[in-house]
Amino acid sequence: MEHRPYRLAEEFDHYLGDPHDPGEVFSYARCADLDDREEFPADICRRFEEWGLPEQYVPVEYGGRLRDYEQVLQLVRAVARRDLTCAIGHGKTYLGGVCVWVAGSAEQGARLGADIIAGVPVSLGLTERAHGSDLLAGDVRTDDEALDDSGHWLVSGEKWLINNATRGSVLSLLTRTRPDGGPRGFSVLLVDKRELDADTYRHLPKIRTLGIRGADISGIAFDGARVPKGALVGAEGAGLEIVLKALQLTRTMCAALSLGAGDHGLRLGLDFAEERELYGRRLVDLPQARHVLTGAAADVLLHEAVALVAARAVQAQTAELGVTSAVTKYLLPTGTDRVLADLTGLLGARAFLKGVHADGRFQKLVRDHRLVGLFDGNTLVNLNSLVNQFRSLVRGFRRGTGDTAGAGVACDLTAPLPPLDPSRLSLIARHGSGMTASLPASVDEITRRAARNPALAPVAEAARRLLAVTTAVHTDMEEYQGVLTEVPPAAFEAARRYTLCWAGAACLGLWTHSTDHVRDDPATGPLWRDGLWLHTVLDRLLRRLGEPAAAGEETYEDLLGALRAARTEGRLFSLLPQRTPERQPATTGGAAGGSERTSC
Amino acid sequence: MPVPTAGHTTESLTTWLAERIALYLKRRPTEIDPDVPLAEYGLDSVAALSLCGDIEDDFDLVIEPTAAWDYPTVHALADHLVAELAAQDGGA
Repeated sequence: MEHRPYRLAEEFDHYLGDPHDPGEVFSYARCADLDDREEFPADICRRFEEWGLPEQYVPVEYGGRLRDYEQVLQLVRAVARRDLTCAIGHGKTYLGGVCVWVAGSAEQGARLGADIIAGVPVSLGLTERAHGSDLLAGDVRTDDEALDDSGHWLVSGEKWLINNATRGSVLSLLTRTRPDGGPRGFSVLLVDKRELDADTYRHLPKIRTLGIRGADISGIAFDGARVPKGALVGAEGAGLEIVLKALQLTRTMCAALSLGAGDHGLRLGLDFAEERELYGRRLVDLPQARHVLTGAAADVLLHEAVALVAARAVQAQTAELGVTSAVTKYLLPTGTDRVLADLTGLLGARAFLKGVHADGRFQKLVRDHRLVGLFDGNTLVNLNSLVNQFRSLVRGFRRGTGDTAGAGVACDLTAPLPPLDPSRLSLIARHGSGMTASLPASVDEITRRAARNPALAPVAEAARRLLAVTTAVHTDMEEYQGVLTEVPPAAFEAARRYTLCWAGAACLGLWTHSTDHVRDDPATGPLWRDGLWLHTVLDRLLRRLGEPAAAGEETYEDLLGALRAARTEGRLFSLLPQRTPERQPATTGGAAGGSERTSC
Repeated sequence: MPVPTAGHTTESLTTWLAERIALYLKRRPTEIDPDVPLAEYGLDSVAALSLCGDIEDDFDLVIEPTAAWDYPTVHALADHLVAELAAQDGGA
């Protein structure tokens, strides 16, 4: 099956060239050099613009090419697979614009769209030095409640730890427009720095960071900056609501960063295991190394499946995005950090070395990815937002309510997606999650299929166990559904377990709705046939839920076969076929140091 | 918790809301002054969104999750609900 988002991502990736070729603008060597110098990857971003990446951030109604969020996910994943600094530095423009896509006027959308397509960097100004994630404590304010005589807001105060604050020309700024604040006391202003008097704002110095060292993480301070009244996005006082809805979109899209990091880390781990010789055997032939690699491979596919479904759910199940985005933004960054930690064990010292092995890519990848779990709503913020929805999630699961039809569309890769209707975004999933409510039907479906195909029997058994655990997790959640003020650690644990159940429901839904369309693909079909990827993924989830294993070594050996085949055939290890632009790897079994270079 | 069925008044809804919010905050309903903003009791803006689910469940009335932001006290919210219920009955 041709899946358009993967095809376009493949085209883009090939346009960017072989990352191993130091002559390419977007090469691993160049990214390592920029990282060392803590320099913004401006020339690499220009390559993205030449190809037309910014158009993909702008909805079609505002002159761009963004129609399906699944497409942006795969494009940003392709960038993130090479370098997270570039993905975060460039992708930030999407974050900067999204408040306007959610609540702006047609004129604002068209104007901002034109700017973004022209390559103007855009930024999102939420956090402040003293307040972190507490948006309602923000001090950036309009000095008067009303506009001044000439119809301007006078904006003062400082936003800090803002990606692109200095480079960005336009900034979506969460601003206190009522002195006493509160949930209706803030508004979003689309501030165009090009229109401000130069002496009414200044940039704060770039902040040095452990990861994404080249990114423009800085700040901006306003002092009576005159912002035209037309800069107001949506209604006055609607700022918090707009930002929380915009964050549902951006948190889902952050999955692209973790997917790219997982792809990259797994490839480095596999290459090392194939090439490294110890005691006369290659590392990949040692049981412990195989165990680490196959576990990482299963997790990478788990994350891909969750992200695929979540990105489709943006449009298919918009009203439940508050749940989808929290699950995704929790699960992918933490899961990928863990994949990278496991692979660190495999790479040993080379995981830490700069220059000596593979351009020091692994240590950079680990440092860069650490940031993904922190920005745009950190791990605890996301779990807390699920705890806040326990009441409706428990009620919905018991009643089988929620948007189950939308969940079906999200899971069926051949189903056309409706255009995103931002007015359907909701701060709370009123009737629970259609994804988890669909779990019993998916379990029935795989049980029926297992009756015809005995090879599916252990997968169906794992699915039934997942349903039993999911039911138990909802019982735990019920106990904490009243904790809205002081959330105890056990409620966070229930939320963590819920994310694993949601992920399992999404994976099972994806497999049952899509396998008939994709299992005959010569490249990736073997992953789908007999439920191979699903089996390992359910096993990973059940173990993380504290349950006994559901898959044995032989299943993981099959997965390793698929992983090695993808590498040999020049494909990305993924659920759907995508060729990589890399030259074929050096002959396996060669000298261990063959790909190593001495740093100068 | 008793579920009102018909003839909602500001008084009956005030009682219902105070009981529900007291449950959220682990306080006694009598401790909730209907004219004090809910935020002052520690009910944060995101937690207040949960109320819409309970209201829909008990009154079969669909309201915006942000209703408690626009009507930030028990009295204001009760008045809003009475108006919404009347509009729903009128429209039915």
